[in-house]
Amino acid sequence: MNDLLAEFLRGFTATNEWTVIIPEIMLAILALGMLGAEMVLPKKSAQSLIPRLAMWGQALILVILVTAGCSYGGDVKSYFSGMIEQTDVTHMMRAFFLVCSILVCYLGQIYLSKQTLAKTEFYHLVIIIAAAMMLLVQSAHFVMLFVALETVTVAFYVLVAYCRNNSLSLEAGLKYLVLGALSSGILLFGIVLLYGVAGNPELAGSSHDSLAYGELAHFINLNADNLLVKVGALLVIAGVCFKIGAVPFQIWVPDVYQGAPTPVTAYLAVASKAAGFIVLLKLLTGPLAGLSEFLVPVLSVIAAVTILFGNITAVTQRNVKRLMGLSGIAHAGYLLVGVIAALTIDWAVYAVIFYLVTYLLASFAVFGVMAHLANSADANQELEHYQDLARRRPFLSGILACGLGSLAGIPPLGGFIGKLFLFVAAFQAGLYGLLAVSVIGVVISIYYYFGWIRECYFGAQLAETETVEPVPFLSADRLMLGALVVGTVAIGLVPAVLPIIP
Amino acid sequence: MIDILFYVFAASVLISAFVMVISPNAVNCAMAMIVSFVGTAALFVLLEAYFLAILQVLVYAGAVMVLFLFIIMLLDVDKSEKSYLKDKMTLGASIIGFGLIVVLVCSAFLGGNHLPEPSLLPVMENPTGEGVGIPFTTSTKSFGYSLFTKYMLPFQVAGFLLLAAMIGVIVVSKKNEPEQG
Repeated sequence: MNDLLAEFLRGFTATNEWTVIIPEIMLAILALGMLGAEMVLPKKSAQSLIPRLAMWGQALILVILVTAGCSYGGDVKSYFSGMIEQTDVTHMMRAFFLVCSILVCYLGQIYLSKQTLAKTEFYHLVIIIAAAMMLLVQSAHFVMLFVALETVTVAFYVLVAYCRNNSLSLEAGLKYLVLGALSSGILLFGIVLLYGVAGNPELAGSSHDSLAYGELAHFINLNADNLLVKVGALLVIAGVCFKIGAVPFQIWVPDVYQGAPTPVTAYLAVASKAAGFIVLLKLLTGPLAGLSEFLVPVLSVIAAVTILFGNITAVTQRNVKRLMGLSGIAHAGYLLVGVIAALTIDWAVYAVIFYLVTYLLASFAVFGVMAHLANSADANQELEHYQDLARRRPFLSGILACGLGSLAGIPPLGGFIGKLFLFVAAFQAGLYGLLAVSVIGVVISIYYYFGWIRECYFGAQLAETETVEPVPFLSADRLMLGALVVGTVAIGLVPAVLPIIP
Repeated sequence: MIDILFYVFAASVLISAFVMVISPNAVNCAMAMIVSFVGTAALFVLLEAYFLAILQVLVYAGAVMVLFLFIIMLLDVDKSEKSYLKDKMTLGASIIGFGLIVVLVCSAFLGGNHLPEPSLLPVMENPTGEGVGIPFTTSTKSFGYSLFTKYMLPFQVAGFLLLAAMIGVIVVSKKNEPEQG
């Protein structure tokens, strides 16, 4: 190897600062360590130790991440020769995904105690997904984006089909696999088109490294009218829209949400969707910014249809997991409005993140109650099972009411403030039509969310023959679910407790 | 010499691909497909894309085809006796596909607007310091340089992707162990 080449290659490795992704590396080590722990520990103690190891290990990493985030200046920094880029948004989202992953491990512990399934691998995959999503939101290069996204998706295929003795779970896994692979293909095709056209030396601004966001943004600004650029951008957006479940690509949502184990449904609904939105935001404000006149009308139509579709189809649902899935589509619509607003209003990015946090707290409260109440047939949770819950399990039904109220956006709760910020951002950006559609959507959503609460509090008394033997309800569970509700209420009363909106 | 080899290999690719489509026996189809893949690999060698050629043989002609053969053996596909031409869908699809090819060939070679010929960058054995990125090369060495310097992080993440996939296969396919308390 000659000296010139060595010097050239050293230029690439100069920015490989592994210390900036210490949390991700530690998560990977934790995930591997758990597989090792299962091998060496005796069976009895491994069963109780490994979930604790997963949760406390991640809590420790969260502490490290937050301490590192506090000392962070606030400027944009690029590492790994442009593969990843850290901003204040990525710091918040990394903490967000870790919190998600901890909560999913907690729900997974409840869920797995009712099933005869392999246990360690569940936590392993959940942690791998968390680490990959943390890299996904930081990626500033299409190669990094695709590899991280595929890691998330492949692990999700497994988790969705995790309950392999249940046909609904397997069906959901197969559907997610086929449609997810299709969407990955669409995304990749879009990326390749952009790469190819941006590498054409006859066009202005072409570059050798056109997969990097910065170079691509420069190229697209100069060639916004090129047909291939438009097609490529549209395909990339379509691939991401599949991940967030926006309307033309939403067919997988109800079936997959119903069949997947409840903790996985929660993970898909909250973390996967959040990652999709941050990627969408990054793409729209970064490389595709030059195409905004072309993309904004497309996204506006998608947002409006998504809100209406999600809310209207959720009205008639009786299965609560499908209901959460379809209402999640509606939430994706509101968030899309925020994303469109973020193209003109700077602080709308933070409104989107704020909404995601309130959505996290409320969703995990609801999914936590669902995980507690479900019997071993996890996919068949009907609204009828919640009849008269307030008398049987007053604490759980209180949690459920708070969570659903927050999702519907009732004033003293966090969901209201989240929606308020989003709608104010949309108003400032002048998106009056979308604002009107959103408000209509919220009104419809109150109907079905309160229908569920009504079943709990005023439903007919359940026949006593069908009593499921209650899972031991520990004070730790009480603390965990209580903390989610306290967080929701606190954000609703004092939004400043979340230091997100500057 | 190279011209003659090109025609030999191109002909073997086309003939074996054709045999694959019309052969009624699934195993014969798979064998013809292997010949087609190996022929493509030989074409890559003629283009001096050795790395691509090796990948083509290892991944497609090797791993993927073994998978195909396994599935064919496991499913025990019957030799279908029916003639393909009787199937109206197949006939229609072939006519449409053939028509598209004719249109493409006519427009590419006979019409006024020829296919654009992009000005290719010169192929370099090793990247030289320009500071803008690693130029296009075909040698295996330069793939290694990129993977272990610029694309180090995605390379590592891809390792975890494969790990997740492997664990997934084990979890989903392994027999349920009896309850252990």
